[in-house]
Amino acid sequence: MSEGFTQRVPRKFLGKYRPKIDGQEKASGKAKYADDLTIKSRFPDLLYARVLHSPHPHARIRGFDSSKAEALPGVVAILTYKDPAIAALKLTNAGWTDCVDTVPWDRMMFQYRDRRVLGEYAAWVGDEMGFAVAAESEEIAEEALRLIDIDWEVLPFVLDPIAAMRPDAPLVHQDLFATNVLPPDPTGGQDVFEDKGDVDADFARAEVVVEGRSIHHNATQGSMDNWCCLVDWKADQLTVWSNSYAADQLRMHIHEMLGLPLHKIRAIASYVGGQFGRGDTGDQPFFLFTALLAKKAGRPVKYRHNRRESFLNSRQPAIYDCKAGARRDGTITSMYFKSIGNVGAYADLSMFALKFVPKELAEMVLAHIPNLRMESYGVYTNGLPGCMMRGVGNSQFNLIFGHMIDLLAERLGMDPIDLCVKNFAHEWESLPSASLDAVLREGAKRIGWESRHLPGKGEPYEGVKRRGIGFSMHPAWHAEWQEKRRGQVQVSMTLNPDCTVLLNAASIEIGGGSNTCNVLGCAEALGFLGIGVGDIHWTSVVDTNDGIKDCVQTDSAVSFLQSEVMMHSARDIKERLREIAAAHLKLRPEQVDFAEGRILSPALPSLSMTVKELLRKGDMAPITVNKSLAPDTTPTGIPFFANFAEVEVDTSTGKVDVLKLIVVNDCGTVMYASGAEGQQIGGQCMGMGEALTEEIIYDKATGIPLNFNWIDYTIPTMADMPDIDPVLLEVWKGVGEYGACGIGEGTVTCTPRAILNAIYNAIGVRVNDIPIKPEKIISALGKG
Amino acid sequence: MQKNEAASSRERGIRIRVNGQWRDFALGDDLSASTTLAYLLRERLGFTGLKVSCDEGACGACTVLEDGAAVLSCMVLAVEADGHDIQTIEGLPADDPVVEAFAEQSEPGFGTALQCGYCTPGFVMTARALLNANPSPTLAEVKEALGGNICRCGCYAGIARAVLNASAKIAARKAGAAAPGGRA
Repeated sequence: MSEGFTQRVPRKFLGKYRPKIDGQEKASGKAKYADDLTIKSRFPDLLYARVLHSPHPHARIRGFDSSKAEALPGVVAILTYKDPAIAALKLTNAGWTDCVDTVPWDRMMFQYRDRRVLGEYAAWVGDEMGFAVAAESEEIAEEALRLIDIDWEVLPFVLDPIAAMRPDAPLVHQDLFATNVLPPDPTGGQDVFEDKGDVDADFARAEVVVEGRSIHHNATQGSMDNWCCLVDWKADQLTVWSNSYAADQLRMHIHEMLGLPLHKIRAIASYVGGQFGRGDTGDQPFFLFTALLAKKAGRPVKYRHNRRESFLNSRQPAIYDCKAGARRDGTITSMYFKSIGNVGAYADLSMFALKFVPKELAEMVLAHIPNLRMESYGVYTNGLPGCMMRGVGNSQFNLIFGHMIDLLAERLGMDPIDLCVKNFAHEWESLPSASLDAVLREGAKRIGWESRHLPGKGEPYEGVKRRGIGFSMHPAWHAEWQEKRRGQVQVSMTLNPDCTVLLNAASIEIGGGSNTCNVLGCAEALGFLGIGVGDIHWTSVVDTNDGIKDCVQTDSAVSFLQSEVMMHSARDIKERLREIAAAHLKLRPEQVDFAEGRILSPALPSLSMTVKELLRKGDMAPITVNKSLAPDTTPTGIPFFANFAEVEVDTSTGKVDVLKLIVVNDCGTVMYASGAEGQQIGGQCMGMGEALTEEIIYDKATGIPLNFNWIDYTIPTMADMPDIDPVLLEVWKGVGEYGACGIGEGTVTCTPRAILNAIYNAIGVRVNDIPIKPEKIISALGKG
Repeated sequence: MQKNEAASSRERGIRIRVNGQWRDFALGDDLSASTTLAYLLRERLGFTGLKVSCDEGACGACTVLEDGAAVLSCMVLAVEADGHDIQTIEGLPADDPVVEAFAEQSEPGFGTALQCGYCTPGFVMTARALLNANPSPTLAEVKEALGGNICRCGCYAGIARAVLNASAKIAARKAGAAAPGGRA
């Protein structure tokens, strides 16, 4: 058993190994999710919505006859693309923000408006389009859709991004764009979005130059809690229950698209069964047509995706090419990255992954490379739209980055760990980075790096099996200073006269454990009251009518952002208590202090009074402090993390077994140790799936995806996962009381590359397009 | 004629014992021969602990116990459950050792046994069935029994640990009950 990590600064509540605050509620099945909150017994008059999912990868509806559907008993309302309420809706996008902020339609982060709400065009098989029906049951609604006679104009389609770039390729959005290549945009920048020094001149004079390519596929988030919403719209009041993880942005989305004032829209959410970036920020068109169905029917309407429909978007498949130049002593002098990303049918936030993130990485890890160029192209195809997914952009980048490190180190005859430490650090630190050095040395020690054999030169096991080890490293995200776009972080804290606390740190809990961090942070901040976790009331329900902005669970930063604000709230509560105590004791406020729930004053050494006793003597009014603070944007850089993997490759079958994974994170400050290790362990499941088994497969002849289910889209189970060793470190520190940095999102990022480098070490042949299915190994070994 | 009608009426209804209580359902409205047990339990009876995630037997989130054995309630028709004993997670006692072990899981090196919690009731019930049949499983047996359940948050290490801890709790309670003066 692991001994666990030791805190840099000992604390009473934060940073400990302890159960989750929602553990009992979830383990007993009592926790309620959107689908549970919207069952028919709670809304006896609810209707069920179904929508047409395009059967064609590219098509347009020329006309239709819906008379049979309208006549079907049990059908209550039908919306079509010709309905004035639908036709009047603005062109939109399903990812207005990267979710840290709330924005109106005209300020969406990437200004690609290519989505029609319930429009007549289909851009991929599965596109929600054309017709939506509300009926007494899902079966009746489905039947009604089948009864609509549609006159299709089937159009040519393209699935491959390289083919889509050719001048004669079918245009995915022929009425909107003259090419499938996305035009440069103000946020992502030009095609060449980073150009420092002179990479061409450096390649010409570099002593060593290496080139590599990696291909990342379209893994999908696979949240188990299928998208679900129920909209009730009566008179001018609209209420939406959903499992969107961004309540404030959902309210803004409805406000901007349907024109209701904000005080007439109420968005409510409780627990969400996993997010992982699905649906970008949740500005999904289905909220709008469900709302309009509810208005038309005059009854609440529920819309829930089935499993097949939950394959709604994916990580952007990306082809990365990289060229790197170095001196023989291992100093990297130039790097040039070029990516072609498949954004699928809709652009949404894809350029966040392809440009915004790599641009950030130029500061976070490549800051000391003197010559650096980055270039990217996002390309429309008639496939599943690209989207945010845990590790957005970083996962695709790490696949090439870790490859180049391994390749270059081998060419230089250098240990890749030494190569990393010699060259990589963030912009606000000098080489070497203490954080990077620490995570790499710790991981190396635990995997047995020193005894590593040369590629393909290890002892065979059972005749045909070979073992190898590898690693990859990456900068963590996000620290507080990187959360500038989030705006104000708001927390409401109320001290009751019996010294219990009502905490409203609005944030929809998606599983990351920020609710536990927040309650621990509250107890820590109010340590002077001598209270415990059980004295704090918190709620899983986020309701926009509470008048507090929800801090959206992205960047893994909510685990500390709200706790930092609570330190300020606690100071205010302490000041108010000082005033109350001073008035009661006839002292000046500065003569009063508190410790462990007791009142202390040098002026009254024999005083024996608790805060609870003091409050009982007053007006019994709760003390409420509403705090709203913008993140401190002093740039502090970030810490690093690294993954090490040991694999066993069966050279006769091509099967790869991962034997061990080591995950080392420098966290700045560990907010909740069991939760942090849970994130480290959990992320490996998604990362390993992406590396080895998960892949969306299309029938190339018809453009139809073949495996939108969990039998053919293979998510690892308990039987597949190896031993995982989670290691938490506190080396770097950011601003504030805790100076923490997010770790949860990133933990998926390095896993594929660590496994791929381990495979190379095992068999001496590189395979760089994931997922690494057995046939790719067999082919690489020349046995195919 | 009358006899046939009575027989027909009986045939058009089902009787299921859910969490210890017999329930009668007439076929009709939203209950037909194709209605799943998962739908009946959630929508008719409000037992929302079980989740319908894949609705095709691929994830285990809807697992309940039928006559003590784990079944995927999305793959069982309500009419097939006629006459059987069904236990949902709501039917477990408040101090169920499996629930306790999942909730408490936090020791160093294994993470927690749940994050988002959506798959958790399914895992708890699958584990419950395993421990009913085999109160002291090995890690390999736990992996085998729970290998059909998906946890997308990836808490498998914590879950396996929680099942072993639950096994230890069961053994401890049994020893306590057996010992003179031990609690019942």
